[in-house]
This record gives sequence, C-alpha cells and structure tokens, in this order.
Amino acid sequence: MYKRIILNDFLRSKIISLTTIIFVAAAAMLVSLAAMLVVNLSGALDTLMKEAKTPHFMQMHSGDIDLERLEAFAEQNSNVDEYQVLEFLNIDGTQIVLGENSLANNVQDNGLSVQSEKFDFLLDLNGKVINVSDGELYVPVSYMRDNTTKIGDKAVIEGKEFTVVGFLRDSQMNSSLSGSKRFLVSKNDYDELKNHGNMEYLIEFRLKDVSQIGEFENAYASEGLEANGPAVTYQLFKLMNALSDGLLIAIILLVSALVVAIAFMCIRFALLTKIEGDYREIGVMKAIGLRISDIKKMYLAKYAMISALGCVVGFGLSLILKDMLLENIKLYMGESNNTLLALLLAIIGILCLFLTIIVFVNILLRRFREISAAEAIRFGSTQQKSLGARRVTLGRNRFMNTNIFLGMKDVLGRKRLYVTSLAVLVFSVFIIIVPQNLYNTISSDKFTQNMGVGNYDMRIDIQQTDNIHEKTSEIVEAITNDNSITRFTVLTTKTFQVSVKDGIEENMKVELGDHSIFPIEYSKGRAPITEEEIALSTIYADEWSKNVGDKIILTVEDVETELMVSGIYSDITNGGKTAKAVFQDSSSDVMWNIISAEFTNKTSVDKKISEYVNEFDFAKVSGIDEFVNQTFGSTILSVKKASYVAIAIALIITILVTLLFLKLLIVKDRYNISVMKAFGYTNKDITLQYTSRSVFVLIIGIILGTVLANTLGEQLAGMVISSFGASTFKFSVDVLPSYVFSPIMMICAVLIATIIGTMGIRRINITENMKE
Amino acid sequence: MEKLIIGEHIMKSFGEGEEQQIVLNRISIEIGEGEFISVMGPSGSGKSTLMHIISGLDRMDGGRVTFNNRSLVDMGENELSDMRRREMGFVFQQPTMLHNLNILDNIILPSMRDNRKEVANLVEKARYLMKKVGILELEKRSITEVSGGQLQRAGICRSLMNRPKIVFGDEPTGALNSKSAEEIMDIFSEINKEGTAVMMVTHDAKVAARTERVLFMRDGKVLDEIKLPKFDGKDIERRVEYVTEKMLEIGI
Repeated sequence: MYKRIILNDFLRSKIISLTTIIFVAAAAMLVSLAAMLVVNLSGALDTLMKEAKTPHFMQMHSGDIDLERLEAFAEQNSNVDEYQVLEFLNIDGTQIVLGENSLANNVQDNGLSVQSEKFDFLLDLNGKVINVSDGELYVPVSYMRDNTTKIGDKAVIEGKEFTVVGFLRDSQMNSSLSGSKRFLVSKNDYDELKNHGNMEYLIEFRLKDVSQIGEFENAYASEGLEANGPAVTYQLFKLMNALSDGLLIAIILLVSALVVAIAFMCIRFALLTKIEGDYREIGVMKAIGLRISDIKKMYLAKYAMISALGCVVGFGLSLILKDMLLENIKLYMGESNNTLLALLLAIIGILCLFLTIIVFVNILLRRFREISAAEAIRFGSTQQKSLGARRVTLGRNRFMNTNIFLGMKDVLGRKRLYVTSLAVLVFSVFIIIVPQNLYNTISSDKFTQNMGVGNYDMRIDIQQTDNIHEKTSEIVEAITNDNSITRFTVLTTKTFQVSVKDGIEENMKVELGDHSIFPIEYSKGRAPITEEEIALSTIYADEWSKNVGDKIILTVEDVETELMVSGIYSDITNGGKTAKAVFQDSSSDVMWNIISAEFTNKTSVDKKISEYVNEFDFAKVSGIDEFVNQTFGSTILSVKKASYVAIAIALIITILVTLLFLKLLIVKDRYNISVMKAFGYTNKDITLQYTSRSVFVLIIGIILGTVLANTLGEQLAGMVISSFGASTFKFSVDVLPSYVFSPIMMICAVLIATIIGTMGIRRINITENMKE
Repeated sequence: MEKLIIGEHIMKSFGEGEEQQIVLNRISIEIGEGEFISVMGPSGSGKSTLMHIISGLDRMDGGRVTFNNRSLVDMGENELSDMRRREMGFVFQQPTMLHNLNILDNIILPSMRDNRKEVANLVEKARYLMKKVGILELEKRSITEVSGGQLQRAGICRSLMNRPKIVFGDEPTGALNSKSAEEIMDIFSEINKEGTAVMMVTHDAKVAARTERVLFMRDGKVLDEIKLPKFDGKDIERRVEYVTEKMLEIGI
C-alpha cells in the first residue's frame, strides 16, 4: 500500500519531489566528495612523505658552511637519526629555458640538485626514487601542471643542453607556497654547472623521536649553527603540501553544509504544506483509529525514498567527479593507499546524511499529535489565530497597485512562511557578493600596499650574487641618472639575532632603509622613523606577542640593542616573517637588496622595465604587476574562478528554491486563489501578486545579504586573507558588479522562477477549490 | 422584464469514460432583470453547478449562456473575471474570505481592482453597507474573530460593492442557525427590492419560499417550477407549505 501511496504522491508533485531529490543529491555528493578527498589527501601525503623520507628538520643556508661542526652537532645530539647536507645550486631564471619557455619572469628560486643518498629523495610520478643519467633533466611537477614544459622537450640551463625526461615530486618543495624548486640532474652534469650558480645548502636531519622537533629546533638555534635562510620542520612541509587541497576540502565542506541546510528547508516546507493539504485526511485517519505512528509511516516512507534516491544519485555523481578533484592530489602526491577507506568513509557520510533527514522528518511529523481529529474534519485546515501586519490595510492603501499591495501584505502577514526562501536568497546574495568583493579587494593596488608591498612601478631584486653592494651601487647610479624615474629607494635585508624569550634566540630578517618613500599600510602604529624603532610583520608580532610600544632586543654589531616596536604590518613576502628598521649596520652580510622605483610616465613602464632587464642581467627586474601576479596571481585567479562558480551556484539555487517555494505556496494558497478568481481577479492579477511577493522577499534578501556580506563576509574573507599574513582586511568594493549587476541577476533569476512557478495559477479551478 | 441571463441546453459532466457522471443534462434557464429566483434540489442534483456555469465560475461542456446579451462561451478568462467583478455578486455557503485581510479589506477587495484611487469612496460605501447589515463595528476584526452569520453579512456587503446586476447565493444560509438565516434572507429581500436580481441555490424550503420563482432540479434536469407573488413579509408559512407540497409532489 505504501508503494502506491508514495508513487501517487510523487506523480502529483513531480517538480517538488524532483527539486528535493536534487538538493539531497547535491548534499550527498558534496559530503561524499569531502570524505573521499580528506582520506585521499592524507593517504597520498603520508605515502609521499614516507617514500621520499622527508627530513624532520631542514635549515637552508647560503654562505660559508662548517661541515665538521655540523657533523659534530649531529653526532652529539642523541635525537638525530640521520643527517646530511644537500647542495642546491640556485640558477637565475633567465638561464633556464624549458622547451620554448624561459623562467626569466618566474618568481620561484629555481635550482639544480642531485639525487640524495640517504633521505629526502626526489620521486618520479610513480612514486619511485629517480635514477638520473647524464643529459637528463627531471623538472618539478608544478611546471607540468602549468604547461611550462613536457616530456621530450629540450632544456637549456646555463648554456648546457638537457632533455626533459620526466617530472619529479619533491616532498619539500612541491607546493607553490614553497619559494624554491629543485630540478634533478646527474652528478656529472651538476659538477659541470657548479660554478654557474649560487650555492645554497640544505642542512637536513631525520630524528628518532619526531615529537621532539621543537626541542631540536631550539638546540640547533642555540648552538649558533649555520642558519642563513629559512628553517622548515616536518609539520610545516606537511602543512604546505596539504594547504591548497585542504582549502578546497574546507570550501566543499562549507558548501555541503549550506546545501544540506537548503535541502532541509525544502523538505520542511514541502512537508508542512503537504500536512496542511492533507489536514482533513489526517484528522479522518486519527478519527477512525489509526495510530499516529501508522500515519507517520506513510509520510516517512516517501521521504525515506526521496532521500535514498538522492543519496544514491549523489554518491554516483561523487564517484564520477572524484577523479577530477583528486587529479591535483594524484599529480603532486601520488596515489593514496586508502581508496577503500575513502569509499567507506564516503558511504558512512552519506548514511549519516540519510539518517539525519529521516530524524528531521520524524521531528517535523511530531505535529501530527497536535492535530485535533474533530477540528481537522470540521474546518479542514489549521485555524490560524493571529496573522500579523494588521495595520497594513487595503483600506489605507492609496498609492500602491492593489495586487502589489496584496503580495507585500501577505509577506508581512505570514513571515514564518517566507523565512525559508528569504534565508536562501540572503545566502545566495552572500555567496555572490563575498567572492566578488574578495576578488576586487585582492586584485586592487590598495591590497598590495596592505600586504607589505609599496605602491611602486618597478622592483629590482639583487640577491644570490657576489658583491651585492657594488652591483647595487651600479644600479643606483643608473637610476639616479634616469630622468624617467621620479623616486626610488634601496632596502637592504640582513639577518640579525633576536632574543625572544629567556635565552632563546632566533634569526630575524630585517629590511633596512627609508620606508617612507613607498609607504605600506600599517595595521597598528606606523613605519620606523628613528634608529631605535622597528616595525614587525603580523606573523612575528603574533608569534612573539609583541604590540606597538613593546621592546625587542636585537644583536647589532655584536651589541645587544633595544628597539621599540613602532608598527605592525601585514606581509605576504618571505613567508610573512619580516621586520623593517632604519638603523645603520655594517657588520652583518647583506642577504639581498631590493630597489623600488616609480616612473613618471606610467604608459612606458613595460618598456623601461625591459631596458633594465637587459642592462642588469644579474638582478631580477620585475614590474610590480608582474611581481604581484606571480606572488599571488594564482590565488587571484582562483578567487576569480570561485566567484564565477559562486554566482552560477547562487543563481541555480535561487531559481530552484524560488520555483519550489512558489509551487508549494500556490498549492497551499489554492483556496485563496480561487476566492480571488471568483470575485473577479484575473490570472494576471494573481500572478502579479505572487511576483510582488517574490520580488519583495528578494529585495529584503538583497539588503540583508549585502549587509551580511559586508560584515560577516568581510570577517570571513579576512580570516582567509590572514592566512597569507594580513592583519587587517577591508573590502574594496566595485559598486557596479556588486551592487548593480548582482541584484539585477538575482531579480532576473527570481522573475524567471516566478513566471514558471506561477503557471499553475491558471490551472486552479474556482469551483473545485472553493468547496470547503 | 428584460432577460438578464439566458441559458440553453447546458451540458456538464465530471469524470471520463465509464466513470463519467452527467451533472447537467441539456438544461435551459432564463433569469430576468431584478428577478428573485431560487433553485431547489437534493444533493448532487446539479443546482450549484448550474449556478457556477451561468455565473461564469465554471465552463460548460455544451449549450449556450448569455449574460446581458453577451455569450459566456465566447469570453476569455479575463473577460469572465471582469464580468464577475463588475456585474455580479457572490455569497457562498461558507464564508469565502481571505485570512490575511480584515473584514473591511475583504469587503472592498473586488472593487479595489478597478477603483484603487477612489479608495476613500470605497471605504465609505463599504461602511454604509456594513451599517445597513449591522456589522459596522466589526470592520477591523480578523475573519476568525467573528461569527458565521456576521461573516455572511460581510460576504453580502462584498457582493454589493460594485452595484451588481445580479447576486448569486449558493446556500448562503446553509451554515447558519435559523435566526441568522432569517436575517440574512431579509437582507437579500431588501437587495432585490432595490432592483438587483438574486439567484439562490438552496435545499431549504423556507429560503425558497421567499423568492418569486422556484426551480426544482433532480439528476441534472429541471423537473418543474413554481411562481410566487413578491414576498411582503406576510404569509411565510403558507408559502413554505406550497413549496414543500411541490417538493413532495415531484419527489425531491
């Protein structure tokens, strides 16, 4: 009997059932995908780091190295299991040509390495340790991903020819967040090129007890061993590898939570309408002695079927889509060994969703208890008591079209009914506006200033070269004589020891020079002006719990110098750990110099930059746009794509939910509609009434959604941005797309849905529906 | 008396195939301007369907109906709506009111469609009618806060707002106690006296006895009809007796 009841019910309300299935399917698909991604990511990552034997602690170092001292340290420290020093031959991007593409404009530090002997292996795409022959070159997998090169291409490095024979996975430097990329060549080839680049050392340790990394790190630092470069731990390698896919998973989980919420709202509304429609029947069933549980079963059976169908479809879709989403993980990290576990977890996730829906429907069906059999049979509908909006009366309406007035009054009078669709509209507006504003913000000039990059046109990086000082002077001289440059500044980065806590010292990169020429935004305080002042990046300030006015102790020219924190700023460069000061220092080595310059004529910036590129081939000359683009161009692009996807999703959800809502509403209101019709209101009039309801709710939705997007959305976006090292975040809004085009798109979507959704009005027969 | 409604050979059935049920079987009917007519018959005789079809609330399967010399068959949905709104009034057995409007708003609702700018006049007119039927103090009440008889009076006010040529009553006293029913019928008599035609569908002989012409229906056909003199408030028992006798004679 249930089968017949369900089937009949289904056929009677095709669109409503279908829409509910679609939402359940979408929710199930997302839950399943998220589960599969989580398991695959962690599995693949573990496999990669196990196969490659990733170091537990790695210190990069450039400059002189005392191998014996390091060796002695490694032997003395009881926690060291294995130790090695690898060489990384940093080659200037201009000297690397892969196929037809030069890496001249690449912001990564590209370099050559040979295969390690003990650990930290470079793996091929099958996860095997690579054995490379002379003349062969293995390229980091990220250059395959962005189509820079392909297998079989000729590669020229420092004039020597190679053949690209494969791509490598580097458990340390795979991620685009890691600033360096290792190319693998044979020992012979490496030796041949050894004098052409700058040598950097990777001092690597595998520990017996991984949980003691923190202590080991301190031990290393306190010994005053080689540390001219960043130090990275196992956890950080893991985090960097997982971050981009982790973000994707987080987004999928967030969207799935929202879709589940929408699916629940749909079910709630459909079910309540159905109960209202069946009010009399339910009363009769109760009156003739059916138990509430028996009646419940009929409704539950339908939703069990809808959810089951949705879940199966969703699971199927997730199986189809999973490969697309796993592509990145597979490419960068390889296969996971947990395929079965992933499937199992996905199925468990979907089962949870299914059970939640059933419990939810069960809770909704509790109101059967409240239905009085006598009342249901007598009145055939719930006896509504107060309907609100009493003061808004037709008799006082002098200006508004009667139909529009009636539509709006209905919304005000039955607020609870419209909350569902309002919530969906608010959500849609929110997910349209937030990514759009985020995109606008991070692609604006103001943002780069916010992120620690001043507003200049050209940036010249002089690093990894001998005689930095002379080479800098050479460029400064050229710039001084260049009439097209209005202003410039030289900022020198040096490493200083800083005392953080009792006895613990850390190396800190401090940028020295005049910071007032191309000012950046300070989230707190201001730029350092006197020699006793220093500004810290947000990450440093947070790490050391320093605020403006606090003191820190730096060792300058072997003297402990107390400096006051003058300001805190956001920074995306150098891993977000930077500081700025103006004091003079002649003792420490210069790590790098950056010359920033501004041109008078903005139209010829590109031409001027290429002039400098040609003239100073030892330096890395880039336009600021290029710099920003390479530093976080891919993030900007992803956000742009995400904003388009969000618009599409929001519009689809808006159309589906509005359509569903109106269909349900018209079924619910058929009595009122037939009364209107009987007393002479045309189909057009009634359609206008429903359209004005939709538009009225939409307008409220747009207003609320926009407000939310600019408050909660801004905070959320700020949280995302802070992961790049930003401290304060304000949306910079492009009014036209955000507040004109988006609402217009929403209005169009709602109107389309309303036109389709209200078609049923015509079919409502007066005499059939007025029988009480 | 000019003919207001002329229905000829009206056919209507519900269902299809073997389950088809003929509700109106080639019925013809005429209603004159200002006439007070009632249709009697048992449940399922087709009296309400007949009223729905000649008032344009429902479509017929065959036959012809003209209202004020215009053919209903030839009218589109919008024309039918306009006709119902401007030239007809309706009072149903159950109070057909919108829950989200108060009594006054329900009354002016049909007339607001065309005369929004004259809302003040409409409200004034509604108040006049409400006073006339004794419900003026209820204007701001919600429809769930008044009695069935009061709602029916409000329904009558609504039907009169546009000065209709005819008011249709579909068992307007069916859900009321006898005292309220009598009061409602007094109001209908009053309306008729002022020149508006009234067509009642009822199975209550007391209601039919107040009208000038009574049609008797069974199984989708008009079996007979009687004429009565205009009701002047007297001799109601005798009129009821006459109608009842006729009913017995026909066997309905």
